[in-house]
Amino acid sequence: MEKPSRILIIDDEEIVLDSCLSVLEGRGYEIATAPDGTEGLKKAEEFAPDLVLVDLMMPGISGFDVLEGMRGVDPAIVTIVITGYSTVESAVEAMKRGAFDFLPKPFTPDELRMIVGRGIERRRLVLEAIALRREREMLQQNFAAIISHELRSPLSAVQQNLFVLTAELDSQLDESQKGRFERLKSRIADLLKMIQSWLRAVSVPEGTIGENFVPTSVRTSIAKAIESVQPHATRKDITITDSSPESLPPVLGDEAILTEALVNLVGNAVKYTHAGGKVAVDAAAEPGQVVVSVADTGVGIAAEDVPFVFDAFYRGKVGPDAEAGCGLGLALTRRIIEAHHGTISVESEIGKGTTFTVRLPVHTPESASPPGEAAAAPTTLEPGDKR
Amino acid sequence: MSERKQLLMIDDDPDFVEGIKSILTAAKYDVDVAHNPKDGLAALQKKRYDLLLLDIMMGRGAEGVMIARKMSRDPKLREIPVLIMTGIREQIAFLFGSQALHPHFVEVDELMEKPVEPRLLLERIEALLKAASQKASEKK
Repeated sequence: MEKPSRILIIDDEEIVLDSCLSVLEGRGYEIATAPDGTEGLKKAEEFAPDLVLVDLMMPGISGFDVLEGMRGVDPAIVTIVITGYSTVESAVEAMKRGAFDFLPKPFTPDELRMIVGRGIERRRLVLEAIALRREREMLQQNFAAIISHELRSPLSAVQQNLFVLTAELDSQLDESQKGRFERLKSRIADLLKMIQSWLRAVSVPEGTIGENFVPTSVRTSIAKAIESVQPHATRKDITITDSSPESLPPVLGDEAILTEALVNLVGNAVKYTHAGGKVAVDAAAEPGQVVVSVADTGVGIAAEDVPFVFDAFYRGKVGPDAEAGCGLGLALTRRIIEAHHGTISVESEIGKGTTFTVRLPVHTPESASPPGEAAAAPTTLEPGDKR
Repeated sequence: MSERKQLLMIDDDPDFVEGIKSILTAAKYDVDVAHNPKDGLAALQKKRYDLLLLDIMMGRGAEGVMIARKMSRDPKLREIPVLIMTGIREQIAFLFGSQALHPHFVEVDELMEKPVEPRLLLERIEALLKAASQKASEKK
């Protein structure tokens, strides 16, 4: 059974309190009263009302202050003001300050019952909305993990068996059959990768991304990003050059996440460059910022596509030898860069190549996080020594 | 020639299990399988294993972690090397890429992402078995 709705009535006139009580009695409400605003706020803390009826004009703190205070107790409390002087102005003012409705004195029992009924209904809706929002947030937070497991598990099992079967059947398969096995494996590997990048795009919440930021070297991220993309480049006979200087001013960020962003940029450059082409990574310290550029000699982006390249799921018209993608890499990259308070821009000429430029603010000691926080990196898991 | 090593695999995906088991059996390991955490724990109590292959996401969540924790509290079980195989690329795996990872649930353990290359799997298992026997001989 649902628990009864709780109503708190705050009024300095005992006659008002009494008549309210008698009107609302027997309707399944739990009712408390208070003779002034200060008492009312105190009572609200322990009574946890769903709805508060408050007189605007009382000795001590005013009804307006009570409205304000109630928001501190629980912003979802529905408040109704009782206006002794039935001026529209004070009622409007109260509603501006968050009151749900107003009740001009004198009021009939029916008016009170009706307005309380509507107020309680309102409270129910507000609570329902809050619950739904919470549920959605929970789902959003865990969505990545749920999807990861549900989508990846069957694919992993298929891939695992393909691995094993190719090994076990090695001597019995002809070249064409082996080729088909290899293509099956690479299609599934692409699918697994696509799920992964999509997951990363949805699981980097702006709100929490900054929590583990520490002074970070962009240089390290550049090196790691190039290392990670290098095999792909080698397969396509694309040369990646790194002209970034050994030392760059630190930026405030998360090295792994920044690396992820740069992997996307360098990986894209390789992806959209013809075999034998070049990808040039460079970095420079400018006043107040570190500028990283990734330039390729690739297919380029059509002018009409340029404004949309950072949008999720947007993929421009792709050339004949373009590789598969899911249209999330750049959207994710932009989110990461923006979470680092940086900017990303693109210049491109079709047929000539594309240059992405990332600008990150230099970390200065004034913008440092409080001491201790930076050192509180997780220590439970560390990269292991290779055996 | 030493006798065949006894391996236990706890994983709730029968197809995945079959793939892995096929690799291990071909490599002359004896493999027992448990398809859920409960049977897995029971098997660990019944027989002495040389290595455990453990899935993380089973049942209602990361129940594999629960098994690893239980093992770490048991003086006998915590000596068994554990290879955690997980389909979910947790934040940790994301951070350290494809490097060997030591979850440090028990003395000798490592993490691999599903699916695994057969050759790589056999290398890791061999390395874990060696590390565990080294640890054991140090203690004596």
